[in-house]
Amino acid sequence: MALTRRTMLTGAAVAALASHLPVRVAFGQDRTVRFAFMQDFTRIYTFVTSEYSQGQRDYITLVNGRGGVGGYTIVADISDHANDQPRAIEAYERAKAQGAVLIDPLSTPVARALVPRALEDQINMITAFSGRSDAADGTAFPYVLPLTPNYWTQAGLLIDYFKQQDGGSLQDKTICFVHIDTPFGKEPLPILEKLAAKEGFKFLAFPYTPPGNDQSAIWPQVRRARPDWTVFWGAAVGQTVALTEAVRNGLDMSRVSSSVWLSESDMEVVGKDQTVGVMKVEPCVSGHEPKIIQDILTEVVAAGKGAGPQDKVGTSYYNYGVMLAALMVEGVRRAAEIAPDGPVTGPWLNAGLRSITAFDAEGMIPPTTITPEDHQGGGYGRIARWDGEKFVPQTDWFSANQDIVWQEIRKYSEEFKKNGK
Amino acid sequence: MDVILLLELAVNGIFVGLMYALVAAGMVLIYKTSGIANLAQGALAMTGAYVVVMLASAGLGLPIWAAVPLAMVVMFAVGAGIERLALRRMIGQPVIMVIMLTLGLEIFLRGLLPGVFGASVKRLDIGIPNAPLFLGELLVSRAILIGGGVSLALILLSILLFNSRFGIIMRAVSDNQTASWSVGIRVERAIAVAWGLSAAMATTSGVLWGATQGVDWSLSLLLIKALAIAILGGLDSIVGVLIAGVVVGLAESMATGILDPIVGGGTRDVVASVIIVVTLLVRPHGLFGREHIERV
Amino acid sequence: MFFRRAGISHTRYRDERQIWPLPIDRYTVFLIAALLLAAPFLIDRLYVVSYLLPLIIWSTAALGLNLLMGGAGQIHLGYGAVIGIGAYSSVHMLRAGVPFELAMIGGGLAAAAIGSIFGAVAMRVKGLYLAMATLAMQYIVDFVIIQFPAISGGTQASLPVPPTSFLGFPVEGDRVPYYVALVICGIVTLFMLNVRRTAFGRALAAVREKDYAAAIIGVDPFRFKLLAFWVSSFIGGLTGAVLSVCYYRTIAPEQFHLDLSIQLVAMVIVGGLGSVLGVFFGVALILFAPILLNQAVALLADQFGMNLPMDLRAHLPLMLYGGLIMGFLLIEPLGLAKIRNNIRNYFLVWPFRHSRQ
Repeated sequence: MALTRRTMLTGAAVAALASHLPVRVAFGQDRTVRFAFMQDFTRIYTFVTSEYSQGQRDYITLVNGRGGVGGYTIVADISDHANDQPRAIEAYERAKAQGAVLIDPLSTPVARALVPRALEDQINMITAFSGRSDAADGTAFPYVLPLTPNYWTQAGLLIDYFKQQDGGSLQDKTICFVHIDTPFGKEPLPILEKLAAKEGFKFLAFPYTPPGNDQSAIWPQVRRARPDWTVFWGAAVGQTVALTEAVRNGLDMSRVSSSVWLSESDMEVVGKDQTVGVMKVEPCVSGHEPKIIQDILTEVVAAGKGAGPQDKVGTSYYNYGVMLAALMVEGVRRAAEIAPDGPVTGPWLNAGLRSITAFDAEGMIPPTTITPEDHQGGGYGRIARWDGEKFVPQTDWFSANQDIVWQEIRKYSEEFKKNGK
Repeated sequence: MDVILLLELAVNGIFVGLMYALVAAGMVLIYKTSGIANLAQGALAMTGAYVVVMLASAGLGLPIWAAVPLAMVVMFAVGAGIERLALRRMIGQPVIMVIMLTLGLEIFLRGLLPGVFGASVKRLDIGIPNAPLFLGELLVSRAILIGGGVSLALILLSILLFNSRFGIIMRAVSDNQTASWSVGIRVERAIAVAWGLSAAMATTSGVLWGATQGVDWSLSLLLIKALAIAILGGLDSIVGVLIAGVVVGLAESMATGILDPIVGGGTRDVVASVIIVVTLLVRPHGLFGREHIERV
Repeated sequence: MFFRRAGISHTRYRDERQIWPLPIDRYTVFLIAALLLAAPFLIDRLYVVSYLLPLIIWSTAALGLNLLMGGAGQIHLGYGAVIGIGAYSSVHMLRAGVPFELAMIGGGLAAAAIGSIFGAVAMRVKGLYLAMATLAMQYIVDFVIIQFPAISGGTQASLPVPPTSFLGFPVEGDRVPYYVALVICGIVTLFMLNVRRTAFGRALAAVREKDYAAAIIGVDPFRFKLLAFWVSSFIGGLTGAVLSVCYYRTIAPEQFHLDLSIQLVAMVIVGGLGSVLGVFFGVALILFAPILLNQAVALLADQFGMNLPMDLRAHLPLMLYGGLIMGFLLIEPLGLAKIRNNIRNYFLVWPFRHSRQ
């Protein structure tokens, strides 16, 4: 390119304009609590993030519209970290500089990488359905709060439900576990192996290579193992492909289950009618019935302040977002009760979050109690089945196999305490 | 390890391999005419699938048999347009820069389509029933069977194309652009058509894969596997791609069936990688690639 | 700025062969070095911790890759794995009680050993075929890290870096990690600037231009390609150690995946193959363009009240980012370093345009 005076001048003009874009947003006014929702909108977690984030923002709009909570209004910063570590660290440091007291990265790799920073800076990191499972131990991870049943608990819930269905014993049954071959997919293995030894069932694990768009060699083996129950464990495209292959291999859909990562849109992609009977773990009520969702529909969406398309309101992942936002806001409420005049800092909110007691978000979530020791909230969930249109709960909120889960949690958290710092 | 399972895995592997080969064939088409490895091939497949979804269920409501050919026409125009707007300006530049340009294109498309049409997974129903199909003891998935069959047909068709008059033009262009010019071949047009055809082929593979996994950005990940197959087969050989696709599909399927239980992890990609490295060591230009004669 | 060449006439060959023959360039370099040294005291910690530090570390890695790609003409799509080997070996050494200085070298050596084994295997092939062979290395290394809990650190697959110190300074807080990374980056940069003027560098250039021709003039292509792999893998491993101790502080397999390899290749190419300065430009563009574009889009959307759908708003930066890469390559296929050179040449003789060659 030969450089002429004109290109030079245009270049200089563009540069001058660009340098005037302020990189930083001003601090908010007094009596605000700043949450940083830095999530992955564009890379791996696209399947959940837009609905989840929509739920979170709608709930916060609802709370702020009612005048805030405990005299505080909530400011939520949304940003995209694209599951990329340098971008996530940048977003984290920016949030910290802006005075955020809570971050929600919604990504297992990012959450794991941010653990040392969050602990050091005393910023509450919410790792709902992601991050380290052993963060349930609040004594080792005071500022890392899953607030939801971790993957070990979800596996424990499923095995317990299978046991109930099979008349109280899983002796000599076969359970197949099809999982994505990443640290996230391998996570439930130790719990399932322990439970297999305890309950006496035959446990078979089938790893598939990420991202899982081709599982055609896995499922014939699953079919041939003649499983009594099958659990598939993955995310995004791996989930829909797993379901499709399960259907193609003629497995009994009423004996196939997954974790919390299964939503209406997955069922629609595979075919609503072909997947009737598939189970998932539900951490909260889905659909429009909960009072909070009704309130959002009337006060936020009807007023034109909704954060996204109305037909997404009430989907599973939308409700996960509402659930987590409700827990965070409850934390703020408790914190304001304990120390009404702040100052708003990480430890201030931490005290609130860790004293949430029997909070059920007006019937939307199981009664959740967070203590300084237990960051998981008791490990409650329920099993729901797909009936062709929606997920129908099969059980009440229940908790199971927590002894084994906690053995595992402690094993790793002790190790972290020993080596981490 | 029983024979039936192995047989089943073999059949599945071969047909899945064919489906991968179709994506790779699109890359070979471009490489053969212009000497560029198109790293946006996966993104083109994703674009094609998005176009089909928009024409069919979500957008205009066309029946699927009309939407797919129409989308192929649209994508032909898109492919030729990309060549005209971006690639043509890079003629004569170092190859690595042009490859990087296609990577930029890949990122651009991955932002454009989910951004405009929505990032959530979209259903693409091409009317293949999911119900299991038993051939005796052997279960074969219809979708994979049909997908593999369609891919095979298209690849054979492109082999035929290379033997037609137009194919000879393309081969001349790939041999020597300047010489082709001097005998009156319209080099730019040949390359533009190659891009168009490649984009149309990518649409088919996008549809075949999208029917199983749904349509979202992850379709663009087909690139890596396609690249591996294209290189194994020899970047300038369609026959090579066909055979390499079958070999890789078979090897992956067998590795999943035999090695995984022993190792306790997903060995598919590793086995494919090892096969590729070993083959390259024995035949550095791929199975059927033309040996490049270097002159000092 | 202007008339920088006025009155400068080199009377000895030595003077003209300096890295920076013009005094003004030397002053600029000193000024930038001084600013970098003073940065933690001058600017907000946010910019040090999340912009300057990754810029420095990624540049060190990209310089190593640039030696291979720009210097010796070998494409490497598994450089992320090389960095990963360095990171994991050094962190395991740190956990075993080895001092950081030694662990850093150890990480470099481990990466160099494994990297040059793959290099030797890949020697038979060239161009895109080589890219494929190195991609295979990426997959194999990823697989090994994930499959062995002893390496990856148990089911949680994250390995915290124990507290450590460098030359007596504890590596913690914001400043010490920055200086450690800066020192390493400075050493590597000086090495890269000088390597082209050595016999090794010239041999690499000969191999890059045509390996058969190099063989004819007595440069053994196999030996020098292997050496290039060795040196660049060593730098990669070293960077892996710095990256994990100074920046990540907890390492996980995802950090060293194919994405990192492709990112680094993009940085080297967009910056300009073979150019040391270009590497820094390329790293800055690829690393920060997505972040800044995101903020710009969010800001514009807020200020002008554009009610963009969420999906579009989230993906717009990605689109612009892809467009930016394409745009730069279309405007100047030789990369950002060439663009910078054009600007520099313009001003060197400004306003006497006719005196440009």
